Amino acid sequence: MYLNEKVVENRLVGHPGQAIYKMVLKGQAAQTAQPGQFVHIRVAESFDPLLRRPLSIAGINREREEITIYYRVAGKGTRLLSQIRANEYLSVLGPLGTGFTIPRDGEFLLIAGGIGVFPIYSLMEAVAQPQVKIKLFWGGENKEFLESAGLKHLQDLGIDYEITTLDGSLGQQGLVTDPFRKYLAEVSNSFAGVKDKTKTPPLWAAACGPPGMLKAVTEICLENGIPLEVSLEERMACGVGACLGCVCTVRDAAGNLRRKRACKDGPVFEAKEVVWDAGV
Amino acid sequence: MQEYSNGHQVDLTTRLGTLVLRNPVITASGTYGFGEEYAAYCSPSSLGAITVKGITPLPRLGNPVPRLAETPAGLLNSVGLENPGLEEFINSYLPKLAQLDTAVIVNISGFSLEDYSLMASALEEHSRPKNRDQARSGGIAALEVNISCPNIKHGGMAFGTNPKSAEAVVQAVKRNTTLPVIAKLSPNVTDIAEMAKAVSSGGADIISLINTLLGMSIDIRTQKPVLANKMGGLSGPAIRPVAVRMVYQVYEAVELPLIGMGGIATWEDAVEFMLAGASAVSIGTANFVNPMAPLEILKGLEDYCRQRGYHSVQEIVGLAHG
Ligand SMILES: Cc1cc2nc3c(=O)[nH]c(=O)nc-3n(C[C@H](O)[C@H](O)[C@H](O)COP(=O)(O)OP(=O)(O)OC[C@H]3O[C@@H](n4cnc5c(N)ncnc54)[C@H](O)[C@@H]3O)c2cc1C
Ligand SMILES: Cc1cc2nc3c(=O)[nH]c(=O)nc-3n(C[C@H](O)[C@H](O)[C@H](O)COP(=O)(O)O)c2cc1C
Ligand code: FES
Repeated sequence: MYLNEKVVENRLVGHPGQAIYKMVLKGQAAQTAQPGQFVHIRVAESFDPLLRRPLSIAGINREREEITIYYRVAGKGTRLLSQIRANEYLSVLGPLGTGFTIPRDGEFLLIAGGIGVFPIYSLMEAVAQPQVKIKLFWGGENKEFLESAGLKHLQDLGIDYEITTLDGSLGQQGLVTDPFRKYLAEVSNSFAGVKDKTKTPPLWAAACGPPGMLKAVTEICLENGIPLEVSLEERMACGVGACLGCVCTVRDAAGNLRRKRACKDGPVFEAKEVVWDAGV
Repeated sequence: MQEYSNGHQVDLTTRLGTLVLRNPVITASGTYGFGEEYAAYCSPSSLGAITVKGITPLPRLGNPVPRLAETPAGLLNSVGLENPGLEEFINSYLPKLAQLDTAVIVNISGFSLEDYSLMASALEEHSRPKNRDQARSGGIAALEVNISCPNIKHGGMAFGTNPKSAEAVVQAVKRNTTLPVIAKLSPNVTDIAEMAKAVSSGGADIISLINTLLGMSIDIRTQKPVLANKMGGLSGPAIRPVAVRMVYQVYEAVELPLIGMGGIATWEDAVEFMLAGASAVSIGTANFVNPMAPLEILKGLEDYCRQRGYHSVQEIVGLAHG
């Protein structure tokens, strides 16, 4: 949909040095938004910056007709976005793309790297608990980042989570894949005695973050036979599948390499089809 | 001169030789997919024509990512002609395109003269409507010969920067089709008029210009080119003055009707191209910014003509000359 959404809120959250903003938009986007989808926002009416900016939908409130976005000021476009005030209107294309599959049973393991946690927020809210048990593994640079990017929000939601930081300022020091791997080992030990695998609760996984992390998580999930969906980030122009600027590479059933469009066929893909470091 | 009231009808019909369009607004190849992607925002039935993504004889994966780099009021792309190939295009895409209530221009690219001949003759078979449903649009309306894509290593632009080979490519296509042939020129040449004359002697019915300008962007943090392919084609408002100049020059050099493009984002831009000599305009990168741009441009063109008392949009073509 090609929309004019009203800015209800747009403010810095957390430590100023982290430059993370929360934006709430009111309008039609909330009606059909699904976790994992994104909106393509025109940050200014001029032609510089020229392109729209893709931002994940981090919260969906259909009753209030509101979606929430979290963004980090990364350059010119997001800086202009941060200057927009409440009650102004923004040109929004969306909701766009194909989102996450939402499990109905078992345990849902979520792995997020850095600001990759933002689309995970709306996903967590869409999962019916306690029928589905959620556990989040989230890795960030340091304590300041995690606090600014929504640690308190997680605590309020009462989600079971484990965090890691690169500098050890909060949680365990290291990569988010460390506790994830460890947890899977514990789970498989605790079910070691169960012969009939249909008696163990199914495990599902979803991940969003930098490509290196997604690749590592994919390997871990493949080893453990856990179906995983990943949300990929690519530079985008059109956002609707017309320009072929945002492709990722997949291997089809016949074993041939193919391109898929992150904006239309994704951004969420089945991890097992993605070819990492395709080199072509 | 006849006086018109403010409410008079402006005839939007656009005649490009034998190619007749209901209005002069077209969408540019590579920016409008295969007609489906933008259908929800801007109905193809309100456009003069749509141009589909460049097709090659065999499927192509195109270049690695990153394929996009934004520059001031511009976009560098190195998609590298990713496309499903001729056979898949004919089997899976063409039947759907033929259902659209608009003229469909098929953009073709090759690496040799044989490639171009082969595609022209294969598409010739599909150029006529197959049934009543298709009769409204008439299958394929025209072939646009892309001799100017900067994103592939061999062929492509080599044809577009050498007048002799440009002429030969157009001739090869012309021999294998009854459809109107549009020759799409590359701006990456010293003398655009010379290229226009060459494709004109090759038998082109229409000339479209410009394709993207070869460019580059370097990330000062990583100290490496932003695009995986290093170089790419620049499009968007940044290239508009170059495109207007070239349309103006080509209008003086040849008699053929012109389709102008390059950075058109508003109706004012479209008027500028028509005054320079374009009989129709194509909208590319602007679609990414505003998916309604083609419709807004059409409306603005019509209003401009109405307010100035023209009864046909074609009356403004070339007025900047002489
Ligand atoms: C599907 C998707 C969802 C996203 N969700 C979020 C989100 O929820 N929160 C958030 O903070 N960021 C998100 N991003 C990244 C965000 O789009 C970029 O940070 C932003 O476009 C940078 O724009 P800029 O002008 O500030 O920076 P600049 O560096 O000036 O941008 C220059 C160009 O590069 C592109 N670009 C730069 N970084 C990225 C990147 N990481 N991914 C894709 N394109 C990039 C820009 O779109 C622009 O075209 C998402 C990206 C995608 C593809
Ligand atoms: C992403 C992208 C893909 C393109 N692909 C093609 C193509 O396949 N064939 C072609 O002839 N031109 C292609 N072009 C060029 C456009 O059709 C057009 O000539 C050019 O972008 C200038 O117009 P604009 O500034 O309005 O975009 C492409 C342009 C872009 C931006
Ligand atoms: S951004 Fe254009 S196809 Fe994905």
